[in-house]
Amino acid sequence: MLFPTLVFGVFFLFVYFTAWSLDRENGRRKLFLLLASWFFYAQWDWRFVALLIASAVLNWGVGALIARQPGAKKAWLVGLGVAANLLILGFFKYYGFFIEQAGDLLMRFGWERDLPLLQIVLPVGISFFTFQGISYVVDVHRGKTPPAKNLLDVMLLMSFFPHLVAGPIVRASDLLPQFDRAPRLTREMATYGLLLIVWGLFKKTVIASELSVSLVDPVFFDPSAYSGFDIAAATYGYAVQIYCDFSAYSDMAIGLAALLGYSFPRNFDQPYRASSLQSFWRRWHISLSSWLRDYLYVPLGGGRKGLASSCVNVFITMLLGGLWHGAAWTFLAWGALHGGVQVIERLGRAAFGDRKVVPTVIGVLVTFHVVCLGWILFRAENFDLAMAMLQGLGRVGPVTALTPLLLTLIVGGLAMHWLPPRAIEGVAERLKAAPSVTLGLLIGAAILLVEAVRPEGVAPFIYFQF
Amino acid sequence: MTDDRDPPEIPLEPFPVYRQESPFPPLDDGLTAGPGDPWSDRNQNVDAHDLPTRENRLLALGRFAFPPDPPLDDEGLAARDRRWAGRTILVSAAFLLVFNAVSPLNWSRQQAPSWLQGTIQQISGVWVGQLAVFGVDMPRQGVREAWMAAREMRFAGQEPAPPAP
Repeated sequence: MLFPTLVFGVFFLFVYFTAWSLDRENGRRKLFLLLASWFFYAQWDWRFVALLIASAVLNWGVGALIARQPGAKKAWLVGLGVAANLLILGFFKYYGFFIEQAGDLLMRFGWERDLPLLQIVLPVGISFFTFQGISYVVDVHRGKTPPAKNLLDVMLLMSFFPHLVAGPIVRASDLLPQFDRAPRLTREMATYGLLLIVWGLFKKTVIASELSVSLVDPVFFDPSAYSGFDIAAATYGYAVQIYCDFSAYSDMAIGLAALLGYSFPRNFDQPYRASSLQSFWRRWHISLSSWLRDYLYVPLGGGRKGLASSCVNVFITMLLGGLWHGAAWTFLAWGALHGGVQVIERLGRAAFGDRKVVPTVIGVLVTFHVVCLGWILFRAENFDLAMAMLQGLGRVGPVTALTPLLLTLIVGGLAMHWLPPRAIEGVAERLKAAPSVTLGLLIGAAILLVEAVRPEGVAPFIYFQF
Repeated sequence: MTDDRDPPEIPLEPFPVYRQESPFPPLDDGLTAGPGDPWSDRNQNVDAHDLPTRENRLLALGRFAFPPDPPLDDEGLAARDRRWAGRTILVSAAFLLVFNAVSPLNWSRQQAPSWLQGTIQQISGVWVGQLAVFGVDMPRQGVREAWMAAREMRFAGQEPAPPAP
């Protein structure tokens, strides 16, 4: 059940009105939202609802034990909790990859073995809910958040349908306090939520879908059939597509949660405006980059032990961040590229201090093209295709794939990064005073426009596979 | 009205009790101000708002018959905002049900045949047909045609788009 579908619209209308009819009974309301979230998740594969429940029970149990145990045992328990979460993630996501690599390695040394290959279906959103589980256990251990008062809260924290399958990664310290009290819906929240949903629908179903179907997919499928101009357009197109796809999901998730009375953190902040890769990661998938910082980079030592250590740590963090996206060497290479460039940036800062060596415009352009280079690795099925894309950039030939409409979408997708920051909040602030009929008609007309131009059907969000 | 505080030199009484300098030049015909009331006649405790006024009887009757609600507390304000949001969503849904009526029909055509799919397809087919009489499908159709025309556009010298399968 994808967000931009009629079925989800009907589902959400039912959830919205039922949830608010239970607003005096916070416990029942949460129970209803949990059941609705499980129903939502079961639309992909009902068997994995059991995995979701097991994961929540595990994290709730470990959190409760950590809160009751004295000092030394806590460390063991938190280690156990994190290991159990990583085991679940590793089994479903990386088992096949590592077995395959181990088989290749053994064959290379002449020790060929029949390793137990399994056809494992990847549960949708497993990377997101296991990361949430890890953050809950670690935060309880660090004392950043008290243990949840009951199992229901942890289950809802991990299963809440707006963020369940593709984030943002909402931490316990953000959401558990909101579960404690009956939520309120203000005009600001409702207007903001509705606008985010419409904006997300537009980005996903119009920009991302059109670019994907008409430009990116054909060119990445067979780069040798296209000229360098088309390949460059497809690369820029993918940069816009992945931004519009993923940020659309985050926007809609934040908007849906707002309509139900809950506040999620911002996940994107005009990332292609960044003038360095460090700045890019403060603007792109903020909930993941801050997670990696707090639960990986800082425990590794962060920047406390000097420049060399900080460079090694940031490289390892980005490498594992790449692996988080998928079990493939291309993702590792993508992570290594981002880690390597960040190391260079750190060395540059160490050498030149905070002096502005490169003008901001140049910084933005260079950063954007490094990111685009990374997107080629990220999108290509394998290294051969990635290399074919890079080699094809120099090929001279007619422009066949790029059309005026696609060029407009690419330029528009990049131009939206130069809208005033918090533009949606600004519009919501103005519209919140409008009568409900006026706003309802405006929202309806905006959705009608999107519906009129969207292609039939809708492709799954890119980040569902992670 | 502004939120600025009164300057400290102006007394807080509703009517100033001192004569301010006139900002206008004196009149040419040389009007002379008559002797004012003696200072001792002024009563500082009297406020013009205290004077008895007669209330409109119709308003008084209305207030008696329909007493105004007490001001809303937090709970009441929250309920009012919720109702407002709910109405907004319902208006949007109704708008789309009329102007985007073809959406359920398209959806039902993409589903595997079943009793539910068949029922939705028939009902939405009738709904779309009835609304088309009033031309409410034209805005969506117009936007779609403009979009398709934009998709077909090519740069000068570029080959035209292949025919849709």
